[in-house]
Amino acid sequence: MNRRLISSLITLWLLLGLMAGSTVGWVTPAWGDAVDQAVVDESTQLWQGSAHALNDVNCSSCHQNDAADSATKTFVAHPDQESCRSCHEQAVDTFLLGKHGIRLREGETPLTPALARLPMKAEAHDLQMTCATCHDAHAVNTVQAAVDSCLTCHNDSHSLNYENSRHAELFAADRTLPRPSGSSVSCATCHLPRHELKKGDSSITLVNNNNTYTLLPRDRMVKEVCMNCHGVEYSYNSIFDDDLVEANFDQPPSLSLETFDLVRTLEEKRTDSGSE
Amino acid sequence: MAASEGRSFDWRSLINLKTAIIFACIALIGWFVAAFALDHKQVFLPGETSVGHYLFETSCASCHEGFKPVSNDTCISCHEAELAEDTHGTKKFLDPRWAGDLANIEALTCTTCHNEHVHMFDRGVHLQPDLCMVCHEGIINGDLKSHDGFTADGCWTAGCHNYHDHRSISTGFIRQNLDQPPMLPVQILPERTVVTALETAPSPDLGQEFLGGGT
Repeated sequence: MNRRLISSLITLWLLLGLMAGSTVGWVTPAWGDAVDQAVVDESTQLWQGSAHALNDVNCSSCHQNDAADSATKTFVAHPDQESCRSCHEQAVDTFLLGKHGIRLREGETPLTPALARLPMKAEAHDLQMTCATCHDAHAVNTVQAAVDSCLTCHNDSHSLNYENSRHAELFAADRTLPRPSGSSVSCATCHLPRHELKKGDSSITLVNNNNTYTLLPRDRMVKEVCMNCHGVEYSYNSIFDDDLVEANFDQPPSLSLETFDLVRTLEEKRTDSGSE
Repeated sequence: MAASEGRSFDWRSLINLKTAIIFACIALIGWFVAAFALDHKQVFLPGETSVGHYLFETSCASCHEGFKPVSNDTCISCHEAELAEDTHGTKKFLDPRWAGDLANIEALTCTTCHNEHVHMFDRGVHLQPDLCMVCHEGIINGDLKSHDGFTADGCWTAGCHNYHDHRSISTGFIRQNLDQPPMLPVQILPERTVVTALETAPSPDLGQEFLGGGT
């Protein structure tokens, strides 16, 4: 009797397991590739004023596959990150290391917000994360990619509270520019920070598209980003205050980290022993 | 058919422990094969994947080569930038003053502290937060007066120390920048300058292709 009960339970457990397993998975939406003339006209108009057009990057540069191994030039409706990478190598390589791009690097389907553990907007759940998800390659306007693109998907308190911050007030002045200036603070300023890379004798300012790089440990963001404008103590007291991070730095920090008292005491001792 | 003869065969005799175990084995093998074939590799995960890696947790080959231990090279292929100046790297333990400490903890193997699919305390570290005490116990027990009586698990969880990268959190760095005002005199982020080669845009070189959809 007992044995029969055990064997029935094992069978039931296996059947339930099989049923649960078969429901995991998702369906990739099919793309409709043909577009209206109006869309072509609009894209052409945006492109004409862009840095792409003025650097002789034409439609075929991205929408035509002319790789050495293909015999004929084929039309590409949706150029992928490899197309962008042929010019923007550093940008794509760093993108592929962060959460946004890592699935592509590892040969998986593109990231969709539905896969995220952070809260994401329901209507954005099926968006596929590639370069063009955040960047309009025709307008080449990175002001949009710096805040609006992020808020298309991200729905957590820190992201939503950005609009109430002093940082966002500064960014409002950049709305009419083609790219954020050096005096405003957007989502990208902290999470996709600009960094200077040595190139021969000169240096070039590029964007680190690895969105995970400045997240942890938090002091990495302090040096890379905060201390461009703020003092070290103000920066540390802000970034280690979880409530202030969630409120997206809507007020000066109230935290006072003991580290600074320790270093001050050490400094006083050094000065005292120096004067003796 | 045996059942239609109705004499010697009773279907209830099939429900016994032996049959159940055989069925369980067949079902488990079938399940694993189906998981492989249908690319549902989540079933092979031995535990929850960390927040940094869960997005590609079904790409086993990203980190695993068969059943071999995960190598440092695998980690570094993505985390090179984070380890650019590793204060607990190979260079430190080549120094005879610290080389002996490797007997306490295999500090040159990433997976010693950063295992995966197990419980993490923070920053992808699965060891107990007092892991620094393996070598630095003296610091809270009299060797450093300012740290006397500090808790054993606070070194990194309180945000004061970083195992790999000291650049922006060392005493030297803080001393150098101590007493700065909340807003620095010059507040400027790096500017991006984009140069253009042409005065006006060229004529678009594709048109009809977009209407047809292409490949």
